[in-house]
Amino acid sequence: MANETATIPDALRAKAQEKAWPLDLVQQALGAGATPEQLIGYMDQGVTADQARQFLAAQAGGAAGAVSDELKARAESAGWPLDLVQQALAMGAAEADLIRYMDMGVTADQARQFMMSGQGGGAPEVDLSWMQVPTEWNTRAKPTKHGLTLEAINIGKYGEVPDTWEYQTEMPRGAVPIPGVEGMGYSIYEKQEVWSDLCAPMYEEAIQRRWRPATDVPWTTIEPLPDDLERAICQICTHLSEKAQVEADVIGRWEPEISYGYHEVKLYLATVVFEDARAVEVFRKRALSNGGGLGLQAPGWSFRSVVDARNFSEFAVIQFVLQDSLTLAQYQYGEKYAKNPAEQFIFARAMQDKARHIAYGISHLKYALLHREDRREEFQRYFDKGEGLLVMDDAKDAATREAFAIYFGGSKDKIAEGMQIYKQMRARALDQYLARLKWATLDRSDRLHPKLRAYLED
Amino acid sequence: MPTFPSVEWFNAIREITNADPAFRQLGTVDAVIGIKVGQKIFELTFEAFECTNVREAGENDLRDMDFWLEQSYDQWKEMLENIKRNGAADLSHTLNTIDLSMPEGFARSHDGYRRDAFYRFNQSIQDFFNASAKIDTTFAPPEAVAA
Repeated sequence: MANETATIPDALRAKAQEKAWPLDLVQQALGAGATPEQLIGYMDQGVTADQARQFLAAQAGGAAGAVSDELKARAESAGWPLDLVQQALAMGAAEADLIRYMDMGVTADQARQFMMSGQGGGAPEVDLSWMQVPTEWNTRAKPTKHGLTLEAINIGKYGEVPDTWEYQTEMPRGAVPIPGVEGMGYSIYEKQEVWSDLCAPMYEEAIQRRWRPATDVPWTTIEPLPDDLERAICQICTHLSEKAQVEADVIGRWEPEISYGYHEVKLYLATVVFEDARAVEVFRKRALSNGGGLGLQAPGWSFRSVVDARNFSEFAVIQFVLQDSLTLAQYQYGEKYAKNPAEQFIFARAMQDKARHIAYGISHLKYALLHREDRREEFQRYFDKGEGLLVMDDAKDAATREAFAIYFGGSKDKIAEGMQIYKQMRARALDQYLARLKWATLDRSDRLHPKLRAYLED
Repeated sequence: MPTFPSVEWFNAIREITNADPAFRQLGTVDAVIGIKVGQKIFELTFEAFECTNVREAGENDLRDMDFWLEQSYDQWKEMLENIKRNGAADLSHTLNTIDLSMPEGFARSHDGYRRDAFYRFNQSIQDFFNASAKIDTTFAPPEAVAA
């Protein structure tokens, strides 16, 4: 290996200056046998002075930088020139990696291109073009009385929620798209299909009004109950827990369908999933905390109307308006007839969560009807179907109905009195359901399923 | 000793509630709520973590409120006496229980949707009334709210 001082051609000198390679390093490389053209090539491909120095040092010491016989043989058989292999080693690649690439069929040209892209193991060159991206700049959202909320940051372009979202990728609203990014597989790109103006404030409300079943519920206030009452509350908890899990599961399926343009909806629905999880948790805990256990699974007919919904709005109105109206009433009556402070606490808190879910459903329905009057009959048919399946559940689910009746009546012997209260609960739920729909401009007073109407006429 | 019902009485509760970290811990409340005792109507405004305003209102103002709580003078008195006695409403006197006990409801609204704020913020409103256990209340004579 020659060590004498070599002459540096002008072109190499200029390139070395441009790429910050000291001239003594260039001389050393020339002295080690590299040609001026090879060195210019290395510099253009992003090899830094440090990397080159390391390579030369390794070569001088006969260590890692030298190309082993095995690698030489593999390179020859793969058609990789020796200088390419040396360059890759100089950029920090390990021999084993290079052999693997060759075995994988990576060609010399592909390897060269990859190294030129700055990803060949060395640090990428600094590229600050992203700092010139034409997004809306100088945005200064101010905290409100509620803190720095989603509504507070919805300013300027960032607060413009388009009727149709045009991007299939995960690009955040207000960012600048780049070409070539793969799609996320969203299927909902229309605002009317998911929107409610309440999503942003109710997301914040849900975050602020959260509670912790493990430590907030006064569990120690639960005293042993007579067997019939314990069985009743355990059956009720089984029902409520199961119902909440179905809701969470189905929302979880819809979340990835909603495009990023409507992130407020995605965020709000995430809180609903969380609150459903909390309901699953707290009712299961109650069932397993006082000498009882779980009860009978629900027939699940009404679950089918949300599980099988073919579009998001269908799911949303059946789940959040129809079914949650009934669940809210169950929580209200659960609080009134609670047998101890723990149950009172559970039902009262679950009631608050559920009322938010209804608020989203009903305000979404109103928004959809306001923007798509032609969907009015479509929604009526969803409710026809949802109510029909609910009636099937009513007919088949004796366990839940009788459990509520025993809980309200106070014992198995007073089940008849309890059944009257159960009917009141149903009537109240349906009355409020119709009043909510009326607010959303949908009148179902003449179209309510006859068997549900019977509760109102009793 | 503030007299129920009066702006002074509600303001006394408001001050206790706004200073109570437990009320803040229940989370934000955004609602305009009416309190109707006989012919007297009061408007309570809740915003974020506090009750921001109390004022006497009229029948026409009810339309602009999310909902109002209405029961007879005697029922209000019973509820507040129960709270005073127990430090908080017992199971028979929670806002929700009273609501379910009245065919026309305790929480009323001209609007089926806005009425749901009663459920959404129920525990905060309950907490507000429970704070009345911390003051000594004088009750106005029934005839004072009749006209």
